[in-house]
Amino acid sequence: MAQIENADPTAPVFHARALRKIYGAGEAEVCALDGITLDCHPGEFLVVLGASGSGKSTLLNLLGGLDTPTSGTLLYRGWDLGGADEASLTRYRRDAVGFVFQFYNLIPSLTARENVALITEIAADPMSPEEALHLVGLGARMDHFPAQLSGGEQQRVAIARAIAKRPAVLMCDEPTGALDVRTGMAVLEAIEKINRDLGTLTLIITHNSVMAGMADRVLTLSDGHITGEKRNATRAAASSLAW
Amino acid sequence: MSLLDLKLLRDLKALKSQAFAVALVMACGLAMMIMTRSLIASLEATRADYYRDNRFADVFSRLKRAPNAVAAQLSAIPGVAAVQTGIALPVTLDLPGVLEPATGLILSLPEQGELTLNRLHLRSGRILVGRESSGEILTGEAFAEANRLRPGDEIAAVLYGRRQNFRVAGVVLSPEFIFEAPPGAALPNNKTYGVFWMPYKELATASNLDGAFNNLSLRLAPGASEAAVIAAVDRVLKPYGGRGAYGRESHPSHTRVRDEIQILQGLSVGFPLVFLSVAAFMTNAVMSRQITLQREQIAILKAFGFSNREIGGHYLKFSLIIVVSGMGLGTLGGIGLGHQLVDMYTLFFRFPSLEFRLATPVVLAAIGVSTLAAVVGVAGAVKAAVRLPPAEAMRPEAPSSYRPALVERLGAGHAFTASFRMALRNIERRPARSMLTMGALALATGILIVPNAFRDGIDYVLNYQWDLIQRQTVFVSMIEPGPARTLADFQALPGVVLAEPVRGAAVELRSGNRFRRLAITGLPPRAELFRVIDAQERPFTLPPHGIVLSSKLAEVLAVNVGDELAVRVLDGRRPEFTVPVAALSEDFAGTAAFMDIGALNRLLGEGDRISGAYLTVAGGKWDEFLRAMKESPVAGGVVVKNRIREGFRETTAKSIGLIQMIYLTFATVVAFGIVYNSARISLSERQRELATLRVIGFSRGEVGAVLVGELAVLTLLALPLGLLIGSGFAAAILTTVNTEFVRLPLILTPYNYAFAVLIVTTASVISALLACRRLDQLDLVGALKARD
Ligand SMILES: Nc1ncnc2c1ncn2[C@@H]1O[C@H](COP(=O)(O)OP(=O)(O)O)[C@@H](O)[C@H]1O
Ligand SMILES: [Mg+2]
Repeated sequence: MAQIENADPTAPVFHARALRKIYGAGEAEVCALDGITLDCHPGEFLVVLGASGSGKSTLLNLLGGLDTPTSGTLLYRGWDLGGADEASLTRYRRDAVGFVFQFYNLIPSLTARENVALITEIAADPMSPEEALHLVGLGARMDHFPAQLSGGEQQRVAIARAIAKRPAVLMCDEPTGALDVRTGMAVLEAIEKINRDLGTLTLIITHNSVMAGMADRVLTLSDGHITGEKRNATRAAASSLAW
Repeated sequence: MSLLDLKLLRDLKALKSQAFAVALVMACGLAMMIMTRSLIASLEATRADYYRDNRFADVFSRLKRAPNAVAAQLSAIPGVAAVQTGIALPVTLDLPGVLEPATGLILSLPEQGELTLNRLHLRSGRILVGRESSGEILTGEAFAEANRLRPGDEIAAVLYGRRQNFRVAGVVLSPEFIFEAPPGAALPNNKTYGVFWMPYKELATASNLDGAFNNLSLRLAPGASEAAVIAAVDRVLKPYGGRGAYGRESHPSHTRVRDEIQILQGLSVGFPLVFLSVAAFMTNAVMSRQITLQREQIAILKAFGFSNREIGGHYLKFSLIIVVSGMGLGTLGGIGLGHQLVDMYTLFFRFPSLEFRLATPVVLAAIGVSTLAAVVGVAGAVKAAVRLPPAEAMRPEAPSSYRPALVERLGAGHAFTASFRMALRNIERRPARSMLTMGALALATGILIVPNAFRDGIDYVLNYQWDLIQRQTVFVSMIEPGPARTLADFQALPGVVLAEPVRGAAVELRSGNRFRRLAITGLPPRAELFRVIDAQERPFTLPPHGIVLSSKLAEVLAVNVGDELAVRVLDGRRPEFTVPVAALSEDFAGTAAFMDIGALNRLLGEGDRISGAYLTVAGGKWDEFLRAMKESPVAGGVVVKNRIREGFRETTAKSIGLIQMIYLTFATVVAFGIVYNSARISLSERQRELATLRVIGFSRGEVGAVLVGELAVLTLLALPLGLLIGSGFAAAILTTVNTEFVRLPLILTPYNYAFAVLIVTTASVISALLACRRLDQLDLVGALKARD
């Protein structure tokens, strides 16, 4: 199964076995991920916890198709994501993944609406940019440029941008890392709402353990290993988290 | 419009002044290329049409006198397609209201029908035909214009010593006189030299050449050998005093046009090439900077599934927009300036119509090359951008490591302010970047040197020719060489302070199979008025034996001091002899050969004769002198040095001045563009750092000082380098102006250097001020909001 088109909708979204990622070589070699075994299922809400440098971003980069593993198996719905070439990775990211980064990374020369439209333009079955912005509660600020928005608003534009194409997975790398508590909460609420309404497999990376309550499942990463896995019987609402 | 294109437009708008600067530099280079190449194309095409339509001859010869029946013999030479015989005579003119006489050449029109070769093109009035007219002449256009002569006007001419009034019947052009000047003249002087035509009968009678001819033109059959025909013509004409036939490559007007094209060709390459490479370099600098700045944007585009091709295309489009606007601007500018130049060239070169012709293939090639250069220049940066793995691009760039600057490490740090220290450290931290900026500034300085060196070179040549070599007031030529005592007659003319004899002899100089026809000038060994100058600008004494050649002539003939040169005299008793090359002299216009007048006369074997004199005339007696000259039976022509100089100033100097101004303007624009662009790039690189400084309490002035300090240091370092580079450019480009008509020496004056320094410094100050104004718009909050 070389093509992403051949992905099997009944298989787990992600299926990782003995996943390793090594940066550098020789003396400077860093083993960022060391034997990760993990399955993720449709609609799941996952929170990945871990200290800085534990390999969280690396894991997300691999799952999101931004980087390729050094060894091990990584399947997306049965399709060999770990062994994909550059062009297939681009297709995969274009069709299946939405990203939210700590620093929003909006295109400064485009308005909120245009930032979202930039992505919907190339997606197969997107919602309208307006709809996506309404979903994150930014219906009123669509024609503002990033510089005219607060950090929380920018991050919500970034979320709208990530979900507008109805991705199968939403990857959030420390989405509240640059935000204060209240704004962070609003952002988490937006993410939670997307997960609930659209059934998107959602992965949030954070070093803030308070966020664990929101998740279906909490993974703890340290030194490139998964050292803990915990299922919550019930998910707490983002607004109820005690910071 | 796609949103990526929208982003492109907005980014472009934010970069508009920089993009404009780059486009402008590109436009200057292209305009220059289009302007000169189109002028070349216009000259070449027009000349080819003119030669064909008016049947310009291939081989030419003068002779003493041959009966008209000899024409049949010449027609019979294998390879000769058409023959035109006639009479050509020197003439002196007396123009109403002009004191000094003008000289010229008067040619005959056939008794029946039109000229077979070198047909005239009528500008106004009418053509004279057959025997029906008398007392009428046709005048070449350049002379007619310079002297405001119209059909119906009268001029007085001295023909064979006889003075006569002629009515101008028509004003004409001839393919033989596209450059209407005496043979060998580098510059036209249309006020005092003209070409005329009159019916054969009248001219033949006046010159005792009835039933005979002394001038020959002929056209070769396709595929005929020019050398063979020339040899045959010389054989036929030998008994009739043939002066040696020659082909187009020795024809004075033809070679003058050819050499002009050659000079233009040199200019059309060197200058634009420098400009276009500068533009390519600037495009690259702007794009690299843009891509570095947008590193994270590129990463996000990749994370969301934009392909490398889409992203690469995006940035390529960006630079192509700059290139295309530069090209558009350049093409328009080049066409506009090209029209102006073509108009100007109609002053020198008389064509029925010299029309602007766009050198389309060259333009397309130039556009192609510039586009390619820009694309190649940008490709590297784009490639680096797309090669960046997306995850990598999201990581902040490694923090740069600073250390005290070299001067500080040497213990001189305390002498500087904090701002200046920061500027120094910035320069040292990124040596490659700083070197590039310095290189750009040096280029800006360098390109300013060339146009002024061009001007200084021409000034030098003029002073050299007219002050250092020629120090006479007038040169008086005699109709025929006369006895040496005639000098006393000249000396006795009113106002004459000093008179020095000159003996000219038309010769062919030959070494191996290289030859040139020119006049050997015989002068007193240590003449004061016309001096022979060596390469060190010292006048030297003519040796009693041997010949002195101007170094260009020696180069053309491939001879050196000590070599023997075969001389065939084309006049008088027509002796042939060999002389050793005794020394080389230096000059910059035309070619020349000199001998001691006594030695020359001995070789000519006609006794002690002179053919003219150089005179200095006291200013107060000038009018009296001229009146006496006009009456003088021996004086054939008078060349007033200052008159020629003025004529030059009015025509040639103006046109050279125009080209030089265009080049200088372009160079200045480019210099500003480069400097401004460098300042903007260094501002954009420091944006965050400068904002941080502002936030922690530095004043705007202090922050500005960091930026300005850096630019100032780089400018200071770049200036000497730029002067060096510019001298190199000037040497490379000026040496392309090296023809038998004119050569340009490399003259680099302190003024030239000072001018370049002044322009670049001014540009730096203005750019720094503009950059500092942008400091006010620095987004302090934004700089801190995003991560560092
Ligand atoms: N491109 C890279 N080159 C070298 N080392 C890297 C690179 N990316 C990450 N690392 C290293 O891998 C480890 C895990 O990094 P990361 O996944 O970013 O951690 P986290 O996101 O949990 O803070 C760290 O030690 C980091 O220094
Ligand atoms: Mg991380």
